[in-house]
Amino acid sequence: MTERGGFEALDPCVHCGFCLQACPTFLATGDEADSPRGRIDLMRALEAGELAPDDPALRLHLDRCLGCRGCEPVCPSGVGFGRGMEAARALLATRRRPSALARAALWALTSPGTSRTVYALARMLRATGIPRRLAGWGRLRFAMGMLAATKPTRNAKRGTRNRRAGPSSAFRVPTSALLFRGCVMDGLFAHVHDATIRTLQVNGYSLREVPEQVCCGALHAHAGLRAEARLLARANVAAFGEGDEPIVVNSAGCGAMLKEYGHLVDAAGFTARVRDVTELLAAGGGPRPGAPVDVQVAYDPPCHLLHAQRIADEPLRVLAAIPVLRVMSLPDAAQCCGSAGLFTLLEPAMSRAVLAPKLASLRTAAPQVVATGNPGCLMQLGAGLAAGGLSAAVCHPVELLDESYRAAGYYA
Amino acid sequence: MITPGLVEALTGIAGARHVRTAPAERLTYARDGLPTHRRVPAVVVLPGSRDELVAVVRLLAAHHVPFVPRGAGTGLSGGALADGAAVLLVLTRLNRILSLDPGNRVAVVEPGVVNVRLSAAAAAHGLHYAPDPSSQTACTIGGNVAENAGGPHCLKYGVTAQHVLALEVVLADGRIVELGSPGGEPWGPDVVGLFVGSEGNFGIATRIAVRLLPLPRAVRTLLAAFASLRAAGEAVSAVIASGIVPAALEMMDQSCIRAVEDSVYAAGYPRDAAAVLLVELDGHSDEAVAADTETVQELLSSHDAASIRVAADAGERERLWQGRKKAFGAMGRLSRDLVVQDAVVPRSALPDVLETIGRIAATYQVTVSNVFHAGDGNLHPNISFDARVPGLRTRVDAASTAIMEACVAVGGTITGEHGVGLDKLRYMPLIFDAESLAAMRAVRRVWDPEERVNPGKVVPVHACREWTGVRSVEWGVRSVASRDAPADSALRTPHSALDT
Repeated sequence: MTERGGFEALDPCVHCGFCLQACPTFLATGDEADSPRGRIDLMRALEAGELAPDDPALRLHLDRCLGCRGCEPVCPSGVGFGRGMEAARALLATRRRPSALARAALWALTSPGTSRTVYALARMLRATGIPRRLAGWGRLRFAMGMLAATKPTRNAKRGTRNRRAGPSSAFRVPTSALLFRGCVMDGLFAHVHDATIRTLQVNGYSLREVPEQVCCGALHAHAGLRAEARLLARANVAAFGEGDEPIVVNSAGCGAMLKEYGHLVDAAGFTARVRDVTELLAAGGGPRPGAPVDVQVAYDPPCHLLHAQRIADEPLRVLAAIPVLRVMSLPDAAQCCGSAGLFTLLEPAMSRAVLAPKLASLRTAAPQVVATGNPGCLMQLGAGLAAGGLSAAVCHPVELLDESYRAAGYYA
Repeated sequence: MITPGLVEALTGIAGARHVRTAPAERLTYARDGLPTHRRVPAVVVLPGSRDELVAVVRLLAAHHVPFVPRGAGTGLSGGALADGAAVLLVLTRLNRILSLDPGNRVAVVEPGVVNVRLSAAAAAHGLHYAPDPSSQTACTIGGNVAENAGGPHCLKYGVTAQHVLALEVVLADGRIVELGSPGGEPWGPDVVGLFVGSEGNFGIATRIAVRLLPLPRAVRTLLAAFASLRAAGEAVSAVIASGIVPAALEMMDQSCIRAVEDSVYAAGYPRDAAAVLLVELDGHSDEAVAADTETVQELLSSHDAASIRVAADAGERERLWQGRKKAFGAMGRLSRDLVVQDAVVPRSALPDVLETIGRIAATYQVTVSNVFHAGDGNLHPNISFDARVPGLRTRVDAASTAIMEACVAVGGTITGEHGVGLDKLRYMPLIFDAESLAAMRAVRRVWDPEERVNPGKVVPVHACREWTGVRSVEWGVRSVASRDAPADSALRTPHSALDT
């Protein structure tokens, strides 16, 4: 922690405006107040006390920031926009608690006891097939579409029967690694965890469970609940211990948060161990090739993988290990999908406006599968595709690799 | 007067979401790409269509309210700032490419189209829009027209004025006029040429017909490193004197090189060089471009280039250019505050002027980084500073003025492409006498008799205290303060204003 709580990360901004076209909300409204540069002006005024934390216009435009950090990799001066935004949100939270909806969502999705029940009920609802049929554009229908999008593909489901790959004598002594399970990922995307375990095992990693781990706290930090986020960070740093085994994450949002724990707690040893699953798979000569999977895939890079963690090539290298599979390149794929954690629930109008151009380009390209490595993006894109009447499925890149490996008989 | 009734009427035209009155929102429009100037507009309107824009202009005309057009706000002279008496018209939502005719190589665009998006759309037809200001990934064609924007490749292809064929303009009184012809043949006087570069003083371009050029078939990009600014400057003169017209000929000094190399746009510029030249040669025949490249390489070598690198492929070329074009934005790595200057000197004077600038920086103890269009002598000294340090801002202003005076003294001028805006009002008397300024003002009044569009820019009407560092106050002319005295008339000095 620094004296200015993160606001100092905004100091290098010289107002050049090179970030404007990288900002999904600026593209949606054309309004400087919805741009990174305008928001930096607002945050500077907030820090200086020129604007009050409860100023409604200030809150409107800061709340409408997706936190996608698409502005960071285009900034020549290296402004730490996300860092500044976390500082600003923490300051705003001192004056006004996050909205009731935000608090309810955090409670339901991240608190250990409650969330288990919520996810169990959600999985039961998902299994009925009703969410899939109700998926649409209204607030509730979109939420139904999001839930439907968490459903494993048919093949993946079959794979859950044998969660572990069989003994593969061909491989070297496995390297031990620890799996970060997260909250939403564990509640609704357990099949992605299974695929992560299996595909990494084929590539020489043996994953160990860490039972004391908790939610990463990203949603809390983004909502300005820095104290809550700090408690979670402390718990995770303790849970994962002092060892040097890599900590594997398959959610881009969690990965970005874990890698930036240093903003909240003393965690240098911990953060250095955090790896996205695609980083581990792509290391060395890339993952072991599998059997052909004949699909056209659009890869949609999650903002917190591409912008926050600067991981661009690794997921593509994972997909390249799958023979026959074709990766389509879409214009503006690097643009945010509008999910942004709780944003899709809290700011539905802006979220849909940001999603619209991406859906339009998916409609034109018509892939069979959209692959992305973050639960929020999977749900947002899945709901959008369903609402827009597009038939493409959504999945995590490791699910495709998993399917390829199953077809290759690696799990026999 | 901006009354609640007027705001309500604006809302009726553009919609409540597109009329911004909250202090926080207006604050985000208080600065452009030259953040040392700051003015908070009374109201911000973001019209969503040409018709809405015209209706807004007519409403403001009926109420005699001044207004300022703004594109992306990347201008570098404070030209798109509006004060508390004016309405800011933000044109970012007018961002459609209305037509793109590859056969006739003409595109018609709305003013809010981003420069690089036009070139991207044209690339599908093997064409591009040639003027490429360094801010092209953000700036708008409307702003380019207002400022007569340049860019690295304007050395060979000419600035914006050479690429605008026709305009539809809404005048201050709400009338719509068409200037030029999309065929490119001017009818009568070159009114398009007059409008382009008028910095928003003549009206707002609502539709812009621009020329598209074929993408060159052969391109070579060279990076040459030099041990001194003088050597690099002399190499520039030698290249131009050879008769070869490079597509671009750019220079960056060591401070600039290091800022870029520390950024995500690092291009592999040699960090230990005192200066680098970026030279691009293009054409339609590989052989001709290869021959020119060889000649330029020999010239650079004979002028003491320490190393010369030729970009191996399009990827490397792109990285070399991105580094150059984002250099201005990388200045935040040196210090939190920045002013950039824009002056033009005769090319032959470059080596001397660069040394003079170095001396001025030493005298005033400020950090100056140079990144500029060397091929046409268009300098951009960037002065980095921390405004929180007491007294530093005064030294920065004094150094700016000294640099400008040095450029004018060798036969140069006060702006190459950034415009006069607010920032260079104080330098106008360095190069224009009272009669010339009066003539400019008279021309402006032909378009806008009430001087309501972008008031207070370009032509210095009044002088205020901040000018007093410049040797300008002796050009005694009559005051107009009595007729349209603003609220802060206490700041005006009676003998330095100008009237027709």
